[in-house]
Amino acid sequence: MSFQLYLLRRILFVIPVCLGITLFAFVIANAVPADPITANLPQSALNNEEIIAAFRARWGLDQPPHIQYLTYLGNLLQGDLGTSIKTRNPVAEDIGKFLPATIELATVGIVFGIVFGVAFGVISAIWRNTLADYLVRILSLLGVSFPVFVLALVGLTVLHAQWRWVPGPGRLGVLLDDPPFVTGLFLIDSLLAGEYETFRDALSRLILPGLVLGLYVSGIIARITRSSLLNVLGLDYMRTARAKGLRERVTIWGHALPNALIPVVTVIGLSYSNLLSGAVLTESIFAWPGIGRYMFRASTSQDFPAIMGGSIVIALIYVGVNFVVDILYYFIDPRIRLA
Amino acid sequence: MKRFVVLLAVLIALFSLGMAQAQDETVLIIGHAESTDSLDPARGFTQTTGVVNKATYETLVTFPDGDASEVLPLLATEWTISEDGLSYTFTLREGVTFASGNAMTAADVVFSFNRLINADGNPSFLADNIASVEASDDSTVVITLAASSPSFLTQLTNSAFSISDSATIAANGGVDGEDAATADAAEEYLNGTSAGTGPYILEAWEAQVETVLVRNANYWGDAPYFDRVIITNIPEPATQAVALQSGEIDLALDLTSDQIAGLEGTDGISIYRGPANIVHFLLMNANPDVGGPVSNPLVARAIRLALDYEGYKTLWGGVQPGTNLAVGLLGAYGEDQAIERNLDEARALLAEAGFADGFDITLDYPDFSFQGVNMNTNAQKIQADLAEIGINVTLNPAEVQVALEGYRAGTQGFAYWFWGPDVLDPSDVLSFLPGGKVASERAQWLPENAPAEINDLIAQTGSTFAAEDRVALFGQLQDFLQESGPFAPFNQPDIQTAFASSLQGYVWHPQWLLDVAILSEGM
Repeated sequence: MSFQLYLLRRILFVIPVCLGITLFAFVIANAVPADPITANLPQSALNNEEIIAAFRARWGLDQPPHIQYLTYLGNLLQGDLGTSIKTRNPVAEDIGKFLPATIELATVGIVFGIVFGVAFGVISAIWRNTLADYLVRILSLLGVSFPVFVLALVGLTVLHAQWRWVPGPGRLGVLLDDPPFVTGLFLIDSLLAGEYETFRDALSRLILPGLVLGLYVSGIIARITRSSLLNVLGLDYMRTARAKGLRERVTIWGHALPNALIPVVTVIGLSYSNLLSGAVLTESIFAWPGIGRYMFRASTSQDFPAIMGGSIVIALIYVGVNFVVDILYYFIDPRIRLA
Repeated sequence: MKRFVVLLAVLIALFSLGMAQAQDETVLIIGHAESTDSLDPARGFTQTTGVVNKATYETLVTFPDGDASEVLPLLATEWTISEDGLSYTFTLREGVTFASGNAMTAADVVFSFNRLINADGNPSFLADNIASVEASDDSTVVITLAASSPSFLTQLTNSAFSISDSATIAANGGVDGEDAATADAAEEYLNGTSAGTGPYILEAWEAQVETVLVRNANYWGDAPYFDRVIITNIPEPATQAVALQSGEIDLALDLTSDQIAGLEGTDGISIYRGPANIVHFLLMNANPDVGGPVSNPLVARAIRLALDYEGYKTLWGGVQPGTNLAVGLLGAYGEDQAIERNLDEARALLAEAGFADGFDITLDYPDFSFQGVNMNTNAQKIQADLAEIGINVTLNPAEVQVALEGYRAGTQGFAYWFWGPDVLDPSDVLSFLPGGKVASERAQWLPENAPAEINDLIAQTGSTFAAEDRVALFGQLQDFLQESGPFAPFNQPDIQTAFASSLQGYVWHPQWLLDVAILSEGM
């Protein structure tokens, strides 16, 4: 299959998924047994029919559901996600503010996750059933099963409050100003503006939460790397490679690992989407103004435009990362190119 | 791998160096789970809004720094109330300017109140009783009420009644007319900067991240100590505790009592304790069919005499309230006027009521902890206290919603609940007097159960305005509650806050939670 055809097929596949997501988000948002009027109007206004009617009209709640959905879809196509009932800002603008914080954190987290996860997985597979293997397997089990908020709090208490190795919660020290907005990613914006102090602070504040998220996802990445690599190591062509006298390092990194990568990349993609959709607990503990906390607040106040806008953006992130993973498959695995 | 670990250690060490930052201005950093909905005084109605607007705006009248025991002048220097209680005439303070430099006049008061009334914001209901606001001259404002309300002055201390700069707000889309709910467009402006007369100016509010206040150079009063106040949003109390320990913040506003206990004795951290305004009390249903023995006023009084009030203070700190009127409010009976434990007298009263050998009764209460006070612990202590006069209490804890249902329906005979005032005014205690919500609906203590003179006194509270007259009137009502009421208030627990020991002057306030302008730094 040519790359163009593969790409086209993947893109066409994305369209119905996106449409399905919007419909799903809409149905869920409308089906919950909560009333946006009681959630968003003051107690005193609830007896006032005029105020309630005005609220319904303003947010389109007086229309039948299918009209509400079509209107929403129409606006969505123009990039309009509606206006948040709570913050009264356009949802797209709110998400534009909160999403970069999450992207920055999730990216650092997944980098740590890949480094630790793949390294642990390879160590564990090569030295199978040795002490190293057992240690790695215990560690990865801990990574998967240990509550991330405990890890985060212990990290803050020990590494920040006691040892002072890392700075405290927050995306930037309170005495520093945000860098001028270009991408919303502090690391990039501060470099663009030449604010090196800000860059250093922002980077240092990413280490601990990134490490926590990284350890959290490294567990599953290590397990998948290990089992996939063990699978490949047992195949005939590995024996052939060794038989023809290749050095062990070359057999593993050059032949085994690339062929074991498909499930690993899939898991990395899923983990990354997972982190990008907002790690609510981690974001809360590190006072990180990310999309997870934005969505949490929106949910607790029945802010439907924000819930739907956020859900759609998060779903699109999943679709987007999956899409990238699909494209990576094409390059990693020649069999897909030939199919 | 080894190389990676070394690299990581080097990176961490490098960045740690940057942590200590030089400061050339005095900065106060507060860790708080931000709840701001809006910083427009006509629209915001949350705890954080109150803290911020207390610093950036001022009201006509205010409370003392640490309680709500009296109404004091602020932007109004004096006021008179008409005979019928409907008309309040305020004389404004001279020489007050807004942060913009504009002089504060009666027109600003009219604009601010009308904008609050008409904006249909979250706090607008507070102004429901205001019929009109008029400026009779530059420094005199007349507010006319729809119905007389002796608690009106205490309501005016709410930051919703902040006086804002009408010229600046009008220039930024603000209107105060009847169409303000739709036509007013100043909220966005007021979320970015303040337009008040307070000691601070709002420099920036980044929702869910931080709120920054800087000194108002045009402030009419004494300049506050801190040049800059930063309220940084830390939603997780456990993180606030860590940040306080590491010195990243100077004051943590949302710690739980467990976390406070954990910080006790930590170098460089002080704990503030002072009575909050939550009163824990026993309810004894006045309807004999529901309350049984405790419906007898003699038994109710015996129970009041049997409780070990000092013991509850040992558990939770705080004070013993004289009645259900929270200590700290105008005219409230404090410890010096509270009931003292007297077991002999309690036993004699029980005998007089025909229960010389005591009786069995069930105590209903929610299985709940509020502000660190565990109601189960208190219920067990109540059980032990009453056993001493022969009353055999069976505890019946229930899930909060379930217990609330019985409480609201008035079907609980003997129950343990707590109450926080709806308004910081003595009239709040009317809820516990015949005809009031708790008394009538929950304890079935009706006006016909009370002597005519008490019902008269209750009626008079609606038309008594002078502070000293109100204190006298509510004193009589509190005497009556102590003697004959179906309630036994036993503890008003402490509220606790932890902060850096270098911080001076912290007090908790029942209305605005925190006044940053009275804080300073020492040591």
